[in-house]
Amino acid sequence: MPEKRIVLRNCGVLDPKDISTYLEKDGFKAWQKARTELSPEQLIAEIKASGLRGRGGAGFPCGLKWELTSKAPGDEKYVVCNADEGEVGTFKDRYILENDPFTLIEGLAIAGYAIGARKGYIYLRAEYHYLLDLLTGAINQARDRGLLEQFDIEIRQGAGAYICGEESALMDSIEGKRGEARYKPPFPPSRGLWQRPTVINNVETLMNIPQIILNGCNWFSQMGTERSKGTKVFSVSGDVQRPAVYELVMGSPLRELVEGLARAKAGRFIQIGGATGRIVPYEMIDTPMDFEHILGAGSIIVFDQSRDIVDIVRRTMEFLAEESCGKCTPCRQGTRVMVGILDKFAHGQGEERDIRSLEELSSAMMLSSLCGLGQAAPIPVVDSLQRFRSDYEARIRKN
Amino acid sequence: MNSTAGDISAEAKKRGKLLVLLEQAQDKLGCLPKEFMARLAASLGLSISEVYGLATFYSFLSPGPSGRNVIRVCKSLPCYLKDLLIESVKREIGVGPGETTSDGRFSFELTNCIGACDQAPAMMVNHDVYGGLTPEELPRILERYK
Amino acid sequence: MKEFSATINGSPVTARDGMTILEVARENGIDIPTLCYSPELTLTGACRICVVEVEGSRTLVGSCHTPIAPGMVIQTHSPRVLDARRVTMELLLASHPEVCIVCDKANMCDLRKIAADLDVGLPRFRLPKHYFPMEDVSPYITRDMSKCIQCWKCVKACSEIAKKNVYGIAYRGFKSKVVVDFDDQPMDKEVCRDCGICIPFCPTGALCKPSPVRQAKTARPLVITGTAQQ
Ligand SMILES: Cc1cc2nc3c(=O)[nH]c(=O)nc-3n(C[C@H](O)[C@H](O)[C@H](O)COP(=O)(O)O)c2cc1C
Ligand code: FES
Ligand code: FES
Repeated sequence: MPEKRIVLRNCGVLDPKDISTYLEKDGFKAWQKARTELSPEQLIAEIKASGLRGRGGAGFPCGLKWELTSKAPGDEKYVVCNADEGEVGTFKDRYILENDPFTLIEGLAIAGYAIGARKGYIYLRAEYHYLLDLLTGAINQARDRGLLEQFDIEIRQGAGAYICGEESALMDSIEGKRGEARYKPPFPPSRGLWQRPTVINNVETLMNIPQIILNGCNWFSQMGTERSKGTKVFSVSGDVQRPAVYELVMGSPLRELVEGLARAKAGRFIQIGGATGRIVPYEMIDTPMDFEHILGAGSIIVFDQSRDIVDIVRRTMEFLAEESCGKCTPCRQGTRVMVGILDKFAHGQGEERDIRSLEELSSAMMLSSLCGLGQAAPIPVVDSLQRFRSDYEARIRKN
Repeated sequence: MNSTAGDISAEAKKRGKLLVLLEQAQDKLGCLPKEFMARLAASLGLSISEVYGLATFYSFLSPGPSGRNVIRVCKSLPCYLKDLLIESVKREIGVGPGETTSDGRFSFELTNCIGACDQAPAMMVNHDVYGGLTPEELPRILERYK
Repeated sequence: MKEFSATINGSPVTARDGMTILEVARENGIDIPTLCYSPELTLTGACRICVVEVEGSRTLVGSCHTPIAPGMVIQTHSPRVLDARRVTMELLLASHPEVCIVCDKANMCDLRKIAADLDVGLPRFRLPKHYFPMEDVSPYITRDMSKCIQCWKCVKACSEIAKKNVYGIAYRGFKSKVVVDFDDQPMDKEVCRDCGICIPFCPTGALCKPSPVRQAKTARPLVITGTAQQ
């Protein structure tokens, strides 16, 4: 199964500094079609029918999100593109921004038209500051050519905080605050940025929009599986020969990606979806990559036979503890407790009861944390305890 | 607050600039001196605690003194698997993570994934990203930052 | 205002539009513990001690901020809820100093009361304790940030009721802390004169009125004279 480049179709083909190379292809045709042939309602119906789901990790149906926002009362609405890409092992959005900022801008403008927003934001992580000029240039070129009528795009930069990828923290950050998660409900479609109805979408989600409009929802929904339509862009790294960004049809087996494209040799385990993602033994290499099975934001980190899973989980937890915003108790305190326990195991000083503590703590954190970070933080612990328990048991201190 | 209200209040808009202004100052001054934060707070009608709270939340803002250039070595897993550059950078500039060289030329920090895992091990110097690094390449790169 | 019914702990309750689960529960005599909630302040949702079970929800939900909906089926004291609350309480106590016996708030401390209600004794988790020097310079407020559990109520009381914005939240994660200005001096603000609005909101001994007793003690330190026997 070769790569199927839909989202990445222009990457390496266009000159990202020159919008005319995009316009010579099918650039902004979808935007024109949307505005001349489709009402916002028809447009939203098309996206809904396509089955497109969010690519930022949670997989929320994109059309439904747009519909909720468009129907929410209020004349001031916003579209936000989430380009915070902080998940460990994820770099696909960077690759997209570097190579094809124009499709993203078109997707954002179409989203604005669909929900009746006059303003869009791109929240760019601080680490991608070097892409700022390129992106600004692309926006300016689109504006100069009259392609951003009645729709203004502003880039806001992050300042180094993984939690700002979480949608509510991201919006607080745009509002000039500490990026702390908000309680939900309300959700962004009813009260988002500055308490106004807001659509927030990942870069890759928006990249899909123009092609869906041009080719129709059926073209899109023919690809993929029952509940995962289209393609997915993956970031593959770790113990592989060809770490890179790859795009495959949803439902493709992990093996295709890891062995076929990235050329990994039989490893020990794979972390899918980054720090808050799943850890699976290498034997699960034939798992299909889709929302029905495992997906996340599409980060795939391969670990070879020499890697120590307890050490890897500990480092993952250190990341989460450092990046927890600190607002809610289970995440602020819980991630820190876990680092302490995992540290003991990493040094061969674990105790029998520590395993039980980890399990009880995991369950409480998943149930009571305020946002997705704290709720998902125990996943690597739970997965590794389930599949690699003996690695922990071997680290229990013997008196 | 009424969600159908017209314009966002001027106050909220003003507040919305706080992070942008701190980022700009950080770029220009290399850190955020207290006098600057105090003035900024006064001009936006915010308390110093609020400005300080923001400055200490984001890891790319430095409320304390910092070197003219900041080296940030990525320590997240994909980079960690490919051998971190910590020792090499340390050898090159003579100070460890969390420290600044005595001539104020470099501050050395560790950071989480910078989205260059396909080029691991990776690091940033100021806003520039370097990937696929070997220790031998470091001197040539660091030379560019005075 | 529209009225509708829901179920809490197996009994039907009547709710009105815009009410939270907590409000309805309290109206019906059901006691859900809270630490960061106060009816006088905007909602925070930070402490997570008030979580309850809602049928059909993947996670527990914060009752202080979740609006009740028609037909909702809620459990406020199921084993799952109590387990989660206990872990949260133990996580708070794990970094809280064990000085209740000499704490000014001792018997009025919400944290301690709720811990007792939840039957939480020694926490099973280990965390570093926060050690911050006692800030007793101000004649209006004594602050001991070692005891703070980050409910933000002082921050909100100061900004929302007193309109003074003395406090802010700084740093991130486990290091985060309620600070005054640049967090480099003990709290001593003249704007706090005749205010003290924040003090009763504090669920722990982190904020207290300077007590006359302590002033007397600091004025005349206890000195033991004589030589110790070797
Ligand atoms: C801790 C955390 C970090 C997240 N980071 C990102 C991110 O970097 N980029 C992103 O697009 N979504 C991220 N998300 C998901 C967003 O909250 C949100 O679901 C997404 O941006 C919605 O867009 P989508 O529906 O197009 O996927 C994160 C979520 C959590 C809980
Ligand atoms: S892990 Fe170093 S750049 Fe992603
Ligand atoms: S009382 Fe509800 S989260 Fe604190």
